[in-house]
Amino acid sequence: MIRFENVVKKYSHSKALNNINLDIHHGEFISLVGLSGAGKSTLLKVIIGEEPIDGGRILIDDVDISNVKKSDLPYLRRKIGVIFQDMKLLPKRTAYENVAFAMEVCGHRREKIERDVPKILDLVGLLHKKDNYPNEMSGGEKQRVAIARALSHRPVLLLADEPTGNLDEVNAGEVLDLLLKINQLGTTVLLATHAADLVNRIKKRVITMEGGQITMEQEKGRYRL
Amino acid sequence: MFESTSFFRIVKTGFVNFWRNLWLSAAATMVMSITLIIFAVLFLVFAMTSYSIKSIQDTVDISVYFKLGLVEQRILDIQQDLESDRQHVKEVEYVSAAQAFEEFKQRNASNPLVMASLNELTENPLPATLHVKGNTLEDFPLIAEQLKSDQYKDFISKVNFEDNRVIIERLNKILKFIITFGVGLIIIFSLIAILVIFNTITLTIYNRKEEVEIMRLVGATNWYIRGPFLMESLLYAFFSTLITGGLLLPVFTRLIPRITQFVNPQLTIYNQNVFNYFYIVLMLFVVAVALSIFSTMMAIRKYLKI
Repeated sequence: MIRFENVVKKYSHSKALNNINLDIHHGEFISLVGLSGAGKSTLLKVIIGEEPIDGGRILIDDVDISNVKKSDLPYLRRKIGVIFQDMKLLPKRTAYENVAFAMEVCGHRREKIERDVPKILDLVGLLHKKDNYPNEMSGGEKQRVAIARALSHRPVLLLADEPTGNLDEVNAGEVLDLLLKINQLGTTVLLATHAADLVNRIKKRVITMEGGQITMEQEKGRYRL
Repeated sequence: MFESTSFFRIVKTGFVNFWRNLWLSAAATMVMSITLIIFAVLFLVFAMTSYSIKSIQDTVDISVYFKLGLVEQRILDIQQDLESDRQHVKEVEYVSAAQAFEEFKQRNASNPLVMASLNELTENPLPATLHVKGNTLEDFPLIAEQLKSDQYKDFISKVNFEDNRVIIERLNKILKFIITFGVGLIIIFSLIAILVIFNTITLTIYNRKEEVEIMRLVGATNWYIRGPFLMESLLYAFFSTLITGGLLLPVFTRLIPRITQFVNPQLTIYNQNVFNYFYIVLMLFVVAVALSIFSTMMAIRKYLKI
């Protein structure tokens, strides 16, 4: 589904990604681990075209996205959901409105939005909090709203950049369970994290990065640096 | 992805942005209105002055009176000389002595005394004349000067131009002043308007930073993100045109007809196209839209990372 071929990304003098070769298959759940600065976030950013790459190529379903036109980026981003450690929710909008916003800006009709948003909120277990504002929710709930928003376009791939970084153990567990559930429903998930206990619980493919390179790959692996 | 739903949402967000920063929007609209008012006033004064000049200019010519009994060919040669000077001379009309005499007779046909005296005459007392028109007002003195040169001195009895010279020169000076001063003022205020709108839109972009970032992430198209900012600046253009148009209405219905009457009762410039109210308001709107779009695009290019 996604193939990295000798991908290089430079920041001024250092190489954030150094010759990355990687295959991600449909329906996989991959944990991307490594210390801060290992290149995990950069790897996610180049997939959504947030950062251009300096060498090699990235194929998504055999389409080379390394030199996708700027005007085509939005359409690529609709196929890929992204969630972050800081959630990036709009504070003045309710849970419902935050999810609806993502659908609105992509031109979905109101009827579709009214039909889909409650379903997605139900999927993440937050339908009962649809009228709550972010500051009225726990960290885990906020992250689940962010996941709901990322799912609103029915993405084929969900990128999660340290989604549990700000959460306590219980909330982090809830978010992870949700990601696993989404994966079971067919969405490929790429989870960048350094929460060792979570990775050990998942027991799926683990990729370890260090200094912009992939240093280890394990099927049904554990968190090891 | 520019179907009606998206378009409607862009317009709506534009209005919301305008409303949320109401004081900023009001400031931008006011500065734009002042620019438009200056633009309109200068345009009107300029149009009026240049129209007056043009109508006076049309009535002005240089009359060249030739000495009596001069061979006609000589006069036609001079006419040709003048006509070859296309740079300054617009047209030259020749009125022969005989023609002048005929015209004089016709003009005075109802006056028996004049007719009786004319019949007494054995020869034509009227000189042949050339009526010369210049391309611009500045050409008249040049042409007159040329006709007074040694080359023609022996054939010409009188060059009549001085009469209108003072008026024309004064009007010309006024027009030049209006153009220089007006263009300067328009440039200065356009720059101020551009800066104020630029700053207002930059602030709106800054206020909506989070929203823009999320829009980008979830795959909103570039135009969907930019659209509301453009819409907001179009609202400045619209409201400032509305304000300026409102202020101009009494000027058009009351002031201009009076000024026109005062300046020159024969001029019917009020009916001219350039004094058409809707024409001017439309022109102001075009100016306002151009200024708004220009400054908004600058702000978007500089601060809205897509």
